[in-house]
Amino acid sequence: MTNPPSRWQYFTSGIIKENPVLILMIGLCPTLATSVSVRDALGMAAATSFVLLGSNLVVSLIRKVVPASVRIPIFIIVISTFVTIIDYVLQAYQPALYRVLGVFVPLIVVNCIILGRAEAFAYGHGVFDSLLDALGKSAGYALVMLVMGSLREILAAGTWFGYAVTPSWFRAAPVLFMIFPPGAFFLIGILKGLVNRLTAQKT
Amino acid sequence: MVNSKAWMVISLVLTCIIAAVALSQVYSITRPVIDDQAAEALKASLSEVLPEAAEFAELEPGTVWSADDAAGNRIGIVCKTSPRGYGGPVTVIVGLDTTGRITAIGIGANIRETPGLGLKAREAWFRDQFRGKTESEVALKRDNGTIDAISAATITSRAVTDGVKQAITQYSHYLSR
Repeated sequence: MTNPPSRWQYFTSGIIKENPVLILMIGLCPTLATSVSVRDALGMAAATSFVLLGSNLVVSLIRKVVPASVRIPIFIIVISTFVTIIDYVLQAYQPALYRVLGVFVPLIVVNCIILGRAEAFAYGHGVFDSLLDALGKSAGYALVMLVMGSLREILAAGTWFGYAVTPSWFRAAPVLFMIFPPGAFFLIGILKGLVNRLTAQKT
Repeated sequence: MVNSKAWMVISLVLTCIIAAVALSQVYSITRPVIDDQAAEALKASLSEVLPEAAEFAELEPGTVWSADDAAGNRIGIVCKTSPRGYGGPVTVIVGLDTTGRITAIGIGANIRETPGLGLKAREAWFRDQFRGKTESEVALKRDNGTIDAISAATITSRAVTDGVKQAITQYSHYLSR
């Protein structure tokens, strides 16, 4: 059996060292598309985390009976089932949250982070390790979404969580460019560069 | 056994069956709740533009409602139009009093305008400009009207004003009845 510190790494590695967006470079499309404000970004991160936990849990449970040749279609069915369940449940019991997240929820099906973790991790590891991995990758994803959403909202609207945090002269003429897709690419390039520099110095 | 051809087919079919059963269960539990939410949300969006009304009676399905007070007298109408915006249709809800003046307007929750630009159409300062206006006054200032456009979001601003104008021309005949 593995000793506790190495299992703990399944969780911690997802935050910086194997950050899904900035190091593994997967799930970029929803990251760029939904980080226009910090509230939307965190909502997307929360919904994605939920699906990732569910998918990693189920995939690690059934991995011994899933034939290798048809594993991808089976993973897709598992993931889309979870996404649809969340879509209905949010719509029925959390209508306010659903109004914010509505368009993003179906997008989770095509988020490669989830299929990527099912294929690269949960298919070869036990339930507990897979849950740790899902939590770690979710934390890493949420961190990127928090930074992207905060910077884009502050720069493009001068607000944070909808509250004014910049002087009124800035809010009158903010960096509108950051709200558009090029602004998102620009920002993720800078973040990727920063993380590369940080991880290069560490080793 | 796990990699046999037969199990390949069976496992896929089984997965689909389990997923289908789980989904149909969740659907049958949540559907009535979702429908209730939608009806409530519609009522809330109608009251928002004509809060004095006690009851809304549908005049044309999904587009015009008669706003009645507690005694059942018509105090105005509420109509809904969907002009074309920048990211798709923009749902505009317009309340009119019996004199044909706008009581308030509302913007649908599920519009797909650009956040930070067109989506600002939902903000109170923009919507409040329509209060008390009549049909001839509803147009952007650059189109010789009285409405300030949202900066850098002329398409959305024009869509909303067009929607309001269209609602008045199309449905105000219900007021005279």
